[in-house]
Amino acid sequence: MARYILSKFGQALFVLWAAFTVSFVLLQSLPGDAVLIKFQNPDYGLSPEQLADIRAAYGADGSFLHQYFHAVWSFLTGDFGYSLQAGVPVSSLLATNLPPSLLLAASGFAVATLLAVLIAIACNLSGFAWLRGLIQSIPSLFISVPTFWLGIMLIQIFSFRLRLVPVINPGPWEGLFLPILTVAVPISAPLAQILLKNIDEVLTKPFVPVARAKGLSHAKVLWRHVAKNTLLPVLTVAGLLFGELIASAVITETVFGLNGIGGLTKQAVDSQDVAVLQAIVVVAATAFVVINLVVDLLYPVLDPRLKIKLRAA
Amino acid sequence: MGIKAKFKAASLLTVWLLAAPVAFADDQPVKGGTLIYLEQQAHTNLYPPAGGFYPNGGILNQITDKLTYQNPKTLDIEPWIAESWTVNDAATEYTFKIRKGVTFSDGTPLDAPAVAKNYDTFGLGNKELKQPVSEVINNYDHSEVVDPYTVKFYFKKSSPGFLQGTSVIGSGLVSLKTLALPFDQLGDATKIIGSGPFVVESETLGKQLSLKARTDYNWGPSKLAHQGRAYLDGIKYIITGEDSVRIGALLSGQADFIRQLQAYDEKQVSDQSFAIYAAPTRGVNDSVAFRPDNPLVADIRVRQALLHATNNKEIVDTLFSANYPQAKSVISSAAAGYADLSSKLIYDPALAEKLLDEAGWKKGASGVREKDGKPLSLAVYESLPQPQNKAVLQLVAQQWAKLGVKLQVLAGTSGNLVTDNVDPAKTPLVVAEVGRADPDVIKSQFYPKNRDALLQKGGLNSKASFSDDKLNGILETVASETDRGKRLAAAKAAQEYLLDQAYVIPFFEEPQVFAGAPYVKGIAFEAVGRPSFYSTWLAEH
Repeated sequence: MARYILSKFGQALFVLWAAFTVSFVLLQSLPGDAVLIKFQNPDYGLSPEQLADIRAAYGADGSFLHQYFHAVWSFLTGDFGYSLQAGVPVSSLLATNLPPSLLLAASGFAVATLLAVLIAIACNLSGFAWLRGLIQSIPSLFISVPTFWLGIMLIQIFSFRLRLVPVINPGPWEGLFLPILTVAVPISAPLAQILLKNIDEVLTKPFVPVARAKGLSHAKVLWRHVAKNTLLPVLTVAGLLFGELIASAVITETVFGLNGIGGLTKQAVDSQDVAVLQAIVVVAATAFVVINLVVDLLYPVLDPRLKIKLRAA
Repeated sequence: MGIKAKFKAASLLTVWLLAAPVAFADDQPVKGGTLIYLEQQAHTNLYPPAGGFYPNGGILNQITDKLTYQNPKTLDIEPWIAESWTVNDAATEYTFKIRKGVTFSDGTPLDAPAVAKNYDTFGLGNKELKQPVSEVINNYDHSEVVDPYTVKFYFKKSSPGFLQGTSVIGSGLVSLKTLALPFDQLGDATKIIGSGPFVVESETLGKQLSLKARTDYNWGPSKLAHQGRAYLDGIKYIITGEDSVRIGALLSGQADFIRQLQAYDEKQVSDQSFAIYAAPTRGVNDSVAFRPDNPLVADIRVRQALLHATNNKEIVDTLFSANYPQAKSVISSAAAGYADLSSKLIYDPALAEKLLDEAGWKKGASGVREKDGKPLSLAVYESLPQPQNKAVLQLVAQQWAKLGVKLQVLAGTSGNLVTDNVDPAKTPLVVAEVGRADPDVIKSQFYPKNRDALLQKGGLNSKASFSDDKLNGILETVASETDRGKRLAAAKAAQEYLLDQAYVIPFFEEPQVFAGAPYVKGIAFEAVGRPSFYSTWLAEH
């Protein structure tokens, strides 16, 4: 078990280093650089000589290796540098954008899971075939709703028309209600689909008729035996869905005017703000690594067979 | 943003969904209240010479004062922080008398040494602090503090545009503390200490900015009717990137004033008796400029053909509203030194065909004109700050396609844009536009040592071989001629020459468009369209 955990940690560290290095190489090999993009902006109207002076002042022409080791060292010592475009330290950008993103992602994910479970339960407990068919088609509907459209519709109806929640200057929870719903709907769809499919599959397993024969009701079979057996694949997909969560968060942040990592990433990409992008890559990689590490470590807990395999090895 | 268009249905829905509870009040200014101002984009670095970026200018204009005030109606330069000034005949020495009793919001005096330090920084830059030079200050040499309230500036060569340069947003005066900070740190608005009618109270990076009025403010431009403190208690800037959300919030009463109203959304705003403000930017019009180093457009007949193949009326009628006047020259009709040259900008496809034929470009099998086996295919990057620029360029591409000329419109966000735009082989065309209410603006756009739109030798492109000495001579005269009449004549000559050589195809006069609730009164704009909320007040509603 200890070896399993150690190897998973080792892999996680390697992934982090690789993400940092690959992103550094890619960012450096892009045409132009942040200094050029910032100062060649017509708003400054700088002459070529003035531009060259500023590039020299920022060391934008330094050697590749020098810049790489400088960046690695800065990160290890906790110095994320300055955002050239925004004119503030990258650490303050992260401090203002990371917590709202995490909150949105976590609550969006929780609501999505709840929605998925509700759909799965409703579908399996409904006695009528037509109702079951109808509920089964909900995930396909959810997955095809564009996040952007959903966000705008929710704002138009609940904020502008019914005036229930303001979008401008909302309270801390008031402001989260509609965005969470916007994020949750598209994420709940694949979760619900996998849940439904797995329940169907597990229901065909031989232990189900045995349990039924012992006199358990359909609901009890679902709850006690089927639920536990369907969790593993759902957990795997949940880890992967995190990426999608961030992607749909970009749109949600834009529509609702929220602070967040999504919008920050978009701006940083537009202006090739290397310091910001580098920090975002590291943060995102860390999040992926941590989530997948948690998922990997949960496998043996959920599935006793895996625990036995680990002991044997 | 491309997705926006697809979901235009959503913004159309706003019209149907909203009721219009509108109240009207009389015209006596009322003190108090906070203006909720929705901005499309977050501000970036607030070093004053970076005030050209629309969101930056919208903030700097409230928190900083300038040495002089340019009357947006007459374009005259009037007293502000400077009570009076003298200029020598050669326009190489400017002396300003500073108004007494003015303070920055950190309590330090705005006196001659402070002004001198501001201009030394803007005129020369500061390498150590990485602060760049200001675009509007030409030929600056040094300052001299004559006495605590008199400052004198010396120039290496004549600089007749300097006086107007002291009135622009990029010349906002900031405290010595602000100037001592490295450029990297000036994106934090709370660190920008000015002497303006409003002060930065708090900021949530990238999301929200709160300003509050300075109750001791008593040094507005002396010719303004309103004196003393601002009427508003404060202004709240909220970044709301989505067009339909900004409009919906305004119409449903959640906001008072919004920036960046698209032409196609104007109707739903005016239909509900909300006010639309289209403030002219008074400079080089929204245009494309040619890079004659590219062999495809080196021939003047090709450029002339494309100029006459461009139907500006169709652009304005299809994509814009009455707030976007069709271009009649290189610069806006509201700009200083403007000359009506609409006779040179006539849409004439027959003439265009003839010119292309004469230049040897024959239609090939694919319908695209060819010469020596090469197709007449040009590329241009869309410019994100210009209104609906992608749609404009795509429409131009359609117009040119009728004559067998291909125009590829490239997306405008990556680093490629910056490097490709200084390479005439990759981009024979560039989108050009700059706002400044002084004839110097033409030089800013086309002179090789400035924005260098044509990519001349000695400019942004190190490999350039093209240069037009005649044009540069005229532009130098515009920037250095001290006789006002002769200077305006040079500005006219520059516009004529640019069109005769077909170096540039102007499309329309670019405004900055805002919308406000009916109860928002006393909105003003400085000479290039940045809002000023000094005299703004909220009527009962």
